[in-house]
This record gives sequence, structure tokens and C-alpha cells, in this order.
Amino acid sequence: MTDTYLDGTDVSRTFGDVTALSDVSIDVSGGHVVALIGPNGSGKTTLLRILVGLLEPTDGEVSYEGPDATRPLGYLPQAPTFRPGFTTRETMAFYARLVDDDPDELLDRVGLGRVPDRRVEALSGGMTRLLGIAQALAGDPPVLALDEPASGLDPGMSQQVFDIVEALAEDGHAVVVTSHDLPLVEGAADRIVVLDRGEVVANDTPAALRERTGGPLHETFTSLVDAGDDVAIRTEETR
Amino acid sequence: MTGRFDAFWAVFAREVRGAIRSRTYLLLGVAMTLVVFGLAQAGEGPSAGYIPTVVDVLLVVEVLVPAVAFAVGYRAIADDAVRGTLDVLATYPLPSWVYVLGVYAGRAVALLVVVLGPLAVLGGVVAVTAGPATTVFATHRGVDSPLLFVRFLALTAAFALTTLALAVAISALADSRRRAILLALVGLLVVVVGADVTVFRAMTGGLDVGLETLLGLSPASAYRGLVFETVLYVAFAGRSGFVAVPVAVLGLVVWTAGSLLVAALAVRGGRTYRTN
Repeated sequence: MTDTYLDGTDVSRTFGDVTALSDVSIDVSGGHVVALIGPNGSGKTTLLRILVGLLEPTDGEVSYEGPDATRPLGYLPQAPTFRPGFTTRETMAFYARLVDDDPDELLDRVGLGRVPDRRVEALSGGMTRLLGIAQALAGDPPVLALDEPASGLDPGMSQQVFDIVEALAEDGHAVVVTSHDLPLVEGAADRIVVLDRGEVVANDTPAALRERTGGPLHETFTSLVDAGDDVAIRTEETR
Repeated sequence: MTGRFDAFWAVFAREVRGAIRSRTYLLLGVAMTLVVFGLAQAGEGPSAGYIPTVVDVLLVVEVLVPAVAFAVGYRAIADDAVRGTLDVLATYPLPSWVYVLGVYAGRAVALLVVVLGPLAVLGGVVAVTAGPATTVFATHRGVDSPLLFVRFLALTAAFALTTLALAVAISALADSRRRAILLALVGLLVVVVGADVTVFRAMTGGLDVGLETLLGLSPASAYRGLVFETVLYVAFAGRSGFVAVPVAVLGLVVWTAGSLLVAALAVRGGRTYRTN
């Protein structure tokens, strides 16, 4: 028996005459990692933004059903960017102050405690993403929505990010994460939702998805999605 | 649990800290200093007194203050929107109006330092160079006083805060830096001449309202009128009658509050944050 923290029912979203999501239902439980995977333009980010409440669904509804919290939902955007001229600690202190959290502890949790005085514009891509994750953790939100947290990172850094994701779930957080990195997703996710052209084509455990073809996860993924059509609905909004 | 004041203070402190580290504000301050001192020196106002100095700089200050205010404020919210910071902040217990007030207050501190700093120093120069006719209290018409100059500074601060509020509202409505620049230029044009032109068009169109009341509705005219009515009046034999003072004060307050309301609604409109 698990508690659902975030529940999306029959969520649809259109941008003009483009359908980005169609009747997507998803629930995210505490202590679990749900991964959204799919080709570019399949609607992963759109779904994540709707789940976080940054985008209104055209149809359907999303409800937060987790415990009371100062900040119910933490969010890591796909390309976290911070105001230049500030150090990592100053940046973290700003977000931490909004929810009465400890900036040093947040930086330590993502391994940035050793560079508190580094300007954010001098951080590597991986470090910037880690700072984004630290920001998402501020206030200890029960639900964390991370948009491609390991995108563009080297293998070591990607593994570190997904280790953090797993640790968050072990702490009882509900984590929903988008990613293209199937091996990492397979290792960290309790459930994988495969999106294609805005529709859910599979929603199962990594093991169950693997069993569909008997091979590695990417074989199942390839069999489920029509990669040739992925550009059809790819827009800035549906990336 | 943090309160709204803590949230306001976090945003405010971030803006002030950013301003302190920005060379742009330093350059604006230097430019402002050069212009007002250049004008005052050309008009020889400082050696004559506070009122002549105000007369020397008023026309340019009326244009320069909105220009500096728009330079300070046009990216205040647009930058956070472009960086995706507004999306992130939407997941925090930070109401849009608290965010807007924090940004506005932080930028206001920077703006007031840039605008009032050089003018205050100019007032100090007048104090040490003006002739003996200048006294502390303007007890009757024709008498100069530093208190009149302080009043001029206060009115200039109010005008600066109003135009900054307009710039922040424009920044909140812009969805890109390029559009922020474009809208800021349009806004500046509206503040400097557009509102006055509209007032005069309304007059020539047969609107049955006094000119001094209508002028109070335009930020620039309201400021100019208030300076005439409450600072330069000592130079006139009778009432200058340039603007209705209550209307002008109300006009500046409404422009400021209305602009901040627009900014808060624009930021809120960009969010669909669900609290539960």
C-alpha cells in the first residue's frame, strides 16, 4: 500500500491545433521514482509542467494529495539558469530563505558544499544542474519533478544525479523525472511511463517492460514508439 | 515557516546585492552626475541659489529620471522570466505581489541612489557657493531656501518611483529581453511626451475638464506641476496654477500602484500554481 502524492487524470493539452498530450493519467507515490521517457517532442516536459502546476491542462485535472508542506512541489527545469554575479551559496541562500531552509546543508546534499564561493556563471553544466537540484530540494517538498536532470552530463555526473534521485525516493519523496538515459532510468525508476506523440503507450515497472521483448529496455522502447514521427509535434512548448 | 516579510526581504536583498555589483548602475550614476553638474554649471545656478539651480536642471531631470528608471527596471522581471526563474519561484510560497514588491523595492533603492545622489551633492555645492540671499526658511515669496531644494529632491524621488513602477510593469509584460527593450522605449516615450500629448488632445477635443486637472494625470506633467507649485512658487508673484496639486499627487500614486498591480497580475498570469 503506497500513498499517492500526485495524481493526474485524463490530462490533455493542446497548443493551437497541435495536441501535445492526450488523455494521460499518471500517479506518483511517496517513496517511488516514476520516469517519463519518450522521443523528443513526445510531451514529457509538457506533462511535467502540468504536474507541477506551471501549465494548465486543456482537459483533465491534476491534484496534489501528499502531506501538508510549506512547499509541496520542487521543480528542476530542463535548463536551470541562475542570476549571474552571485555565488552558489548566495544563490542557494536566496531560495532557502523563501522556505526557511539551510543553504549549506542543501549544497552538501548535492555535493556542492566544497564550492560555496564560486560564481554560478563559472560552474560547469553538471554543477549548474546540481545547484538546480539543490534548489528543487529547498523546503523538503514531498514531490520532486526533475526535467532531464542528467541531460548533457558525463557518465559519472549522470550517475551521481540518479543516485540523488534514488536517495530522495528512499527518504520518502515522490519523484517524477524525465530522461533519455534508459540505463540510468532502468536502475533508478520504480515505474516507467513511455510517452509517444502525447499518449501513454506503456506504464509499467522496468522489469515488466523488459519482458515485453526479452531484451534490454531500449528494445522495448524502440518497439513502443514511432521515432519517425517525433518531429511532428516538436515545438518549443512540447519539447 | 517563513512569513511574507521574509520572502519579500529575500527578493529585496537579492535585488540590492545585484545592484551593488552592477557596473551599469555605476555608469548611470556617473552619467547622471555629469549631466546635472554640467547643466548647473552652464546655467550658473549653484552660485545664485537653490531655486535657480532647480530651474537649470528641471527640464533635463524630467527626461533623465524616466530614462534612468527605465534602464534600471526594464529587465527587472523579464530576466527572471527568460531564465525560467519565475517558473521555479512559482513552486515556492512566494505570492506574485510579494515578489513584485521585493523586486520593485530593491531596484528603487538603486534608482534613488543613482538619481538623488548627484542631485543631493549638487545641493551641497549650492550650500557652499550660493550668495547671502539664500536662507534656511523661505518665509516669503522671492526668498530661496535649502528646504525648497529638499522638496525638489522628494518630488524627484516620487517621480522616479512612479516611472520605475511603470518600467517594472512593462518588464513583467515582456516575454523576452528584446521585447522588454522595445516596450521600455515605447513606455519612455509615453511618459516623457505621450501622456502630455494625450492631455492636450483631450483638451482640444472639447473635454470639459480644466487643464490643470488633466495635467495632473500625466506623470511627467504631474511632477513638473508639483515642482512649480511647491518649489518654484517663490519665484512667482501669484499662484502659478500649473497643475492641481491633489490631482497631481493622486496621479503619481495611481500610476505607481496601478503599474505594480499590473506587474503582479502579469507575473501571476504566468503561473497556474496550484496550492493544493
